[in-house]
Amino acid sequence: MTEFGRRTVLAGLLAAPALRRASAQANIQGTINLVAYAGIFQDNYTRTVVEPFKRRFPGVQVNYVPGGTSAQMLGTVRAQARDPQVDVVLMDVTTSHIANLEGLFDEITPAEAPSLAELDPAARAVGLDKFGPAVTYDHLVLVYDARDLRPPLATLADLWRPDLRGLLAISAPPNIQGLALTAMVEKMEGGDYTRSVDKAIAKLRTLAPSVQTFEPNPDGYSLILNGVVRVATGWNARAQLYSDETNGRLGVLLPPEGSVFQINTINLVKGSKNRPAALAFLNYALSQEAQKAFTERMFYAPTNAAVRIEPAALARTAATPANRARMIPVDWVGIAGIRDQWNNRWRREIIAASGR
Amino acid sequence: MEQSLAARDHCGQRPLKQPSLALMAHLVLTGLTKRYGQTVAVASLDLAVERGESVALLGPSGCGKTTTLRMLAGLIAPDAGRVTVADQDLTQVPTHKRDMGYVFQSYALFPHLDVAANVAFGLAERGIARSERDRRAREALALVRLAGFEGRRPRELSGGQQQRVALARALVLRPQVLLLDESLSNLDARLRESMRHEIREIQRNLAITTLFVTHDQTEALTMCDRIAVMNRGRIEQIGTAREIYDTPATRFVAGFVGRINTIPLARDATGLNAGGIAIRAHGVPDGPVDLFLRPQLVALAARSEPAGDANRLEGVAARTVFVGDRSEVLVDTAAGRLVVELAPGAPAPADGAEIALLWAPETGRVFAREDA
Amino acid sequence: MKAPARIAWLALPAGAVLAFVYVYPMLDLGRMSFNRTGPTGAMVPDWSLAIWRELLADPFTLELTWNSIVLSAVATTGALLLAYPLALFLFRTDSRWRGLIAAIAITPMLVNGVARVFGWLAILGDRGLVNSILLSAGLVDQPVRLVYNWTGVAIGLTESLMPYMILALMAGFGRLDRTLEEAAASLGAPPWRRFMRVTLPLSLPAIVLGWLLCFVLAMSAYITPKLLGGGRVFLLATEIFELAVTNVNWPMAAALALYTLILLLLFLAAYGALARRAA
Repeated sequence: MTEFGRRTVLAGLLAAPALRRASAQANIQGTINLVAYAGIFQDNYTRTVVEPFKRRFPGVQVNYVPGGTSAQMLGTVRAQARDPQVDVVLMDVTTSHIANLEGLFDEITPAEAPSLAELDPAARAVGLDKFGPAVTYDHLVLVYDARDLRPPLATLADLWRPDLRGLLAISAPPNIQGLALTAMVEKMEGGDYTRSVDKAIAKLRTLAPSVQTFEPNPDGYSLILNGVVRVATGWNARAQLYSDETNGRLGVLLPPEGSVFQINTINLVKGSKNRPAALAFLNYALSQEAQKAFTERMFYAPTNAAVRIEPAALARTAATPANRARMIPVDWVGIAGIRDQWNNRWRREIIAASGR
Repeated sequence: MEQSLAARDHCGQRPLKQPSLALMAHLVLTGLTKRYGQTVAVASLDLAVERGESVALLGPSGCGKTTTLRMLAGLIAPDAGRVTVADQDLTQVPTHKRDMGYVFQSYALFPHLDVAANVAFGLAERGIARSERDRRAREALALVRLAGFEGRRPRELSGGQQQRVALARALVLRPQVLLLDESLSNLDARLRESMRHEIREIQRNLAITTLFVTHDQTEALTMCDRIAVMNRGRIEQIGTAREIYDTPATRFVAGFVGRINTIPLARDATGLNAGGIAIRAHGVPDGPVDLFLRPQLVALAARSEPAGDANRLEGVAARTVFVGDRSEVLVDTAAGRLVVELAPGAPAPADGAEIALLWAPETGRVFAREDA
Repeated sequence: MKAPARIAWLALPAGAVLAFVYVYPMLDLGRMSFNRTGPTGAMVPDWSLAIWRELLADPFTLELTWNSIVLSAVATTGALLLAYPLALFLFRTDSRWRGLIAAIAITPMLVNGVARVFGWLAILGDRGLVNSILLSAGLVDQPVRLVYNWTGVAIGLTESLMPYMILALMAGFGRLDRTLEEAAASLGAPPWRRFMRVTLPLSLPAIVLGWLLCFVLAMSAYITPKLLGGGRVFLLATEIFELAVTNVNWPMAAALALYTLILLLLFLAAYGALARRAA
């Protein structure tokens, strides 16, 4: 599902005319409301995508509405189904899939958003090839205290190191980090999550007593930086950013045993009050220019297959050939269907084994 | 030191009981003192109560009488002084070990317990068996004429009934000393009167040493063997009702107990006069003085009637007031308006009638003027 | 208790507000619980008992119920034991510090719940105050796990209930009268017996009121269990939150919320019946 980059050269050639067509529509006017993640994501997305878009489309005002979790964003869209106030939503693929099925989001064609043509086919596929496509790729990492943890964390199996007993923060399902970890451990144990997660559950059960919290608050990164735990599960993009901000105190590991992509999609709300402007923004967000700027700023892997990322930044994403080779293909929509089962097994077999 | 303070400080003009008597007394307070900040609530108070005797602490509100009672019960700690009962110093003994019955002004019945349980409350503390408790509670309730009320809740009782339960609750323990704090003041007039006699009767039958705090002189006069009149934290006078009434020791006692006429006196070369009319009196202190004269000790007479040895003051009958059991005549004289009680059977003077007032010199009491 | 019909219209504004902010959302919630959830979480409008059947057939529902009741009862009782002496002191004292002490006791209500929880993490964490003391005193050689588990949630919840308990107790102490204890003393009862025979029975209404109020608050608390539970503590309130906000299973969240509401109503009805019998 992660075939982006293969036709980079060809796509690059197509990119320039696509952008030119977009600028031809620069007479688009009005206001759109964009709902996406808050905090550090909002800061960087505003700087690298929203602001440049506004310069290109001076007639369009973009209101960035911080939306909490993807599920909360879905709640907002559901509540406004009859009279949508939101035009564009950026959310996790599992929730955008629900919204697609519920008819809350609209279909988009490459004629309306030429950038679509440049996307990695998998990015289109998660939107069922007609709804909002993937806009960023992230992946699960293990973050650790690079200052105090000796030796540093090197593998997924290192989580079971005896010296880490009581010093782990593992986000359990239904958090998707926990779902991703389940798939990764199953792979590490030689299994295939699409058939069974028995091996993962059995292995994680032996990890449970080492876990200090299955629900890190506010997040694993802060718990490490505050010295509460040594190792946590995390997302690559944020982890890379925190790592920079702390001068490398936070170590980021893409486990050699493999990792799993987390996918954010960008979606057009059905009944948008300013469809042309919303499409223009969506198109821009998927363009090479925006994808490059955001990836180099925040280390989300791009979904635009034509984009050229600066090598230093690229190396810190999952988009390099070496990293891509480690990724475990995951069908998030499929996992959403069995999420409750995994959730229950975590609760009854793993968390229950960690004591009260 | 407290004792010597007490000896120096005691305020009555008449000497207190002899020390030998105090030693024999059942309940003795010595130099009892309580201050609240700058205010002295009780100032080195001495009091001795005989076994079985009933003494009233009578005084206006704020005179320190309730504070005294609470110190006696151990509900508040005195700043100085001692409390002894039967020669046992109880000053440092906590309330629950003092063996004193206390009947509160508000009755303080336990609202969550029925009447029988209220009365048996103290018996349970003494570890008395349930059946014995029930029996004694029934007896005590019968004593206060509340037999059959055992299962009622306090809120289902009238004020007088609650009062009697409170009394039974205290008496059932046969305490050494019974303390009553304004215990009748929340009752209506008729009930109060019958309760006065009832309590007095019980107290006498049980021969229980009793201290009764009240601001109502009728209560004090009818319920107690002796009365201690309190004012500003001190006892002004202790004595029988008759003594207090007939021979008040201080100006305060004279004014507080019973109705009385206050006649300002002036001095001239020949002696005292009231409004220019020469007056004779006994026991006259130096300085400006007033004459205190009970209304029933003054006789109404025709102007023509000879005065003899009595003092005589002419006046005009302004009005006659019938107050139920007697009539009073208001008389305007050169010394101001005086109240005179009409002798039983005597005809009331017509309004405006010119009359004379006569009284024997020894019946009036003369005290120094307060604001002088 | 019955208002004359003449002034019944006074209740109209309150009734309208209640209908708008309470009844309408409740009906909406009820409606939602009869929808179905598709295999990947999409909500399917329907009139179906599928969700309710699933909810009531799942043994986990019973486990959540039991967990919530036990934890709420423990935290509420803990708060009662801690708050009672303080409330009694505040009710009685005429000390000039009374206002200040009362303010300090109530202040936690004004502090954001999240901030309070992070305070507890700092105190109870592996490297927190308590463990530092225990470790340096040599009482333990490993940090004692006081947060991210049931202990932590119970402690945090107890603390968060304290101000409400204090207020409820002070409001309910109406019948407590110092004179009654003096009367008990004069009848020979030492301090402890006075407390047991007079103060405690008379403050029973306050205790019941406070316990009830705090129990209901505890049952619906989710911030504290969420932040202090370390993902180990599964309660009705946290599960509703999880279902609604993480799993996007609104019909199930709605059904569980109504289930909890019904549970609390049954509890209140039982209390009402008990209180009537006691009266």
